[in-house]
Amino acid sequence: MSKQHEPRVLGHADEADGIEEYDNPLPDWWLGLFWLTIIWGGFYAVHYHFWGNRSQEGEFIAEMQAADERWPEQAQAAIQFAMSDAAVTSGEAVYQQNCFPCHGVNLEGGIGPAFDDDEWIHGGTADDVLRIIREGVLTKGMVAWEGILSPEQINDVTAYIVARNMDATGRTLDSYLASSGMDAEPAEADTVTVAPASDSQGSQSEPED
Amino acid sequence: MEPNSVAADSSRSAPAVTPNYDDGIVKMFFTATVIWGIVGMLVGVIIALQLAWWPANLNLPWTSFGRLRPLHTNAVIFAFAGNVCFTGIYHSMQRLLKTRMFNDTLSRIHFWGWQLIIVSAAVSLPMGLTQGKEYAELIWPIDVAVTLIWVAFAINFFGTIAIRKVQHLYVAIWFYMSFVLTIAVLHIVNSLAIPATLLRSYPIYAGLTDGLVQWWYGHNAVGFFLTTPFLGLMYYYLPRAAERPVFSYRLSIIHFWALVFLYIWAGPHHLLYSALPDWAQTLGMVFSVILIAPSWGGMLNGLLTLKGAWDRVRTDPILKMMVVAVSFYGMSTFEGPMMSIRAVNGLAHYTNWVIGHVHSGALGWVGMMSFGMLYWLAPRLFNRPLAYPKWVSHHFWLATIGIVIYTVAMWAAGLMEGLQWRAINDAGQLVNPIFLDITARLQPFMLLRLLGGGMYLVGAIMMGINFWQTVNGPERPEEADALPQAA
Repeated sequence: MSKQHEPRVLGHADEADGIEEYDNPLPDWWLGLFWLTIIWGGFYAVHYHFWGNRSQEGEFIAEMQAADERWPEQAQAAIQFAMSDAAVTSGEAVYQQNCFPCHGVNLEGGIGPAFDDDEWIHGGTADDVLRIIREGVLTKGMVAWEGILSPEQINDVTAYIVARNMDATGRTLDSYLASSGMDAEPAEADTVTVAPASDSQGSQSEPED
Repeated sequence: MEPNSVAADSSRSAPAVTPNYDDGIVKMFFTATVIWGIVGMLVGVIIALQLAWWPANLNLPWTSFGRLRPLHTNAVIFAFAGNVCFTGIYHSMQRLLKTRMFNDTLSRIHFWGWQLIIVSAAVSLPMGLTQGKEYAELIWPIDVAVTLIWVAFAINFFGTIAIRKVQHLYVAIWFYMSFVLTIAVLHIVNSLAIPATLLRSYPIYAGLTDGLVQWWYGHNAVGFFLTTPFLGLMYYYLPRAAERPVFSYRLSIIHFWALVFLYIWAGPHHLLYSALPDWAQTLGMVFSVILIAPSWGGMLNGLLTLKGAWDRVRTDPILKMMVVAVSFYGMSTFEGPMMSIRAVNGLAHYTNWVIGHVHSGALGWVGMMSFGMLYWLAPRLFNRPLAYPKWVSHHFWLATIGIVIYTVAMWAAGLMEGLQWRAINDAGQLVNPIFLDITARLQPFMLLRLLGGGMYLVGAIMMGINFWQTVNGPERPEEADALPQAA
């Protein structure tokens, strides 16, 4: 149809408060777009659900498999606890960035337990602290920091907590290392069963299942 | 200039010729619109300030973000936009159907009932009384009141259509009809609940069903509260203001039916990557994408109606507002379908991009269309020239620049959040493991949003002052056919 001629008005004006309407055809590109989206919609739905057999769950599994291939699960190297001034300094920075919201700026506790006293709910050796930071205590809302913090950072923040606890309680460094189960700890951190810690602080080891 | 349309324009040259029309109710809704508009936008600016600077929540439960946010959304959607629709519908439908409203008492019940509902929302939401469903927060007694008042409105509306003095129903009326009917269905179905006490109730749906019904409602609140009635208003007020014939009757028919048919299916795009079955997610996504053309049909019919009137668009701030409104409508109805594509949604969902999208529609389309309509209507309705015609232009620029700042800030914030949440380094670890770090980085964007929203609010307050002075100013002199407009 010719688009040159002056469009015809429909003559509805006296029934539309003076508003006239042209009898213009639908713009071709508009109609084309409409058909295109309809055809694409049908094609997409059939492709997603039948030809491609795609699904939300499948997408998740594929993504996880790709990640597993790219980053194969490695045996988690045990962290040898090492105390040093440098570790305490760097650990303080890590603590004040990540830990203080729950455990307090001065380790006084809050949402999470305090570190400035002699009470250790999940074990009070340096190794216990390392383990708790790595694995978290998910039932209590403590996040597993392994993978978020580097092994060095986990060691350093442990050193900071131990150093501050020593200041607060007057214990010696050896008393935190006393019942260290580090050597006995298996390389695989996922299924670690903590050796019953029978240190003098009366810490109970958390039975993990 | 179309001499014919001016000649047929009875309401314009001499309102006294048509004393039959109930303009009192239009003035009431007009006044409520301006007041609630400013209130709703003010609450929006307050919560924007809270997001940029938390002490603004005053550390009080009643003024905390979680309670004021639903107050803001309810105020701007149901109080401001609702009253805009009622103003425009009561004004235009009487003229389009050449008859007074069906029943003046019903009109007043509708007005006072609706304002009472708004006041009860403004009291109950800060008290923390809520059903916890987005845009459907109001507790069950208020829900019942909304239903009753809506039925009163519907009887009055369809009664007026029944007693009309013309045969042809103009396109604006179709859009109004879809608004009245669909909102009734949406509100009633989504609000079904078993009352436990006067203030508490339990929805009859559970879990995923509740979620799906909620977003069927939530998305179509956008579709049938903020889109179709405003398209109706556009179809009446834009050609009236431009004094041009509507571009295509055929396009109106096709895009109307396509829009109302497709919109109602699009809700599941709010639940992509959720427990919703894949096929329902696909349905929501596909129908959203197919909605582009029907939505753009409205934009085209608006913009192409202005063909031949572009010289006036350059100088008339009312037409400028309508052009910006229709353009933002076209922009956000393209953005929405893109965001409902699975892959894009995976990035955009839960970020500030969504807030930006909603506000480009709300501030750009709904707000600008409303302002254009109100400025066009005010001198005619109150029979007085605008007190400060130049302010209309200032309002236009404040609002337009404000929207641009707002939406650009939210796009940037949303993309930043979406990308930083999912960023993984070479070791397969999250680059930003601390969620709070990313949140803290949003502050500059929150400040920009506050600036944009603040400019928009200032424009609305200027409009309120302008109307106040207009109503209290001298009457328009006789024979002043050409209304003074801002140059």
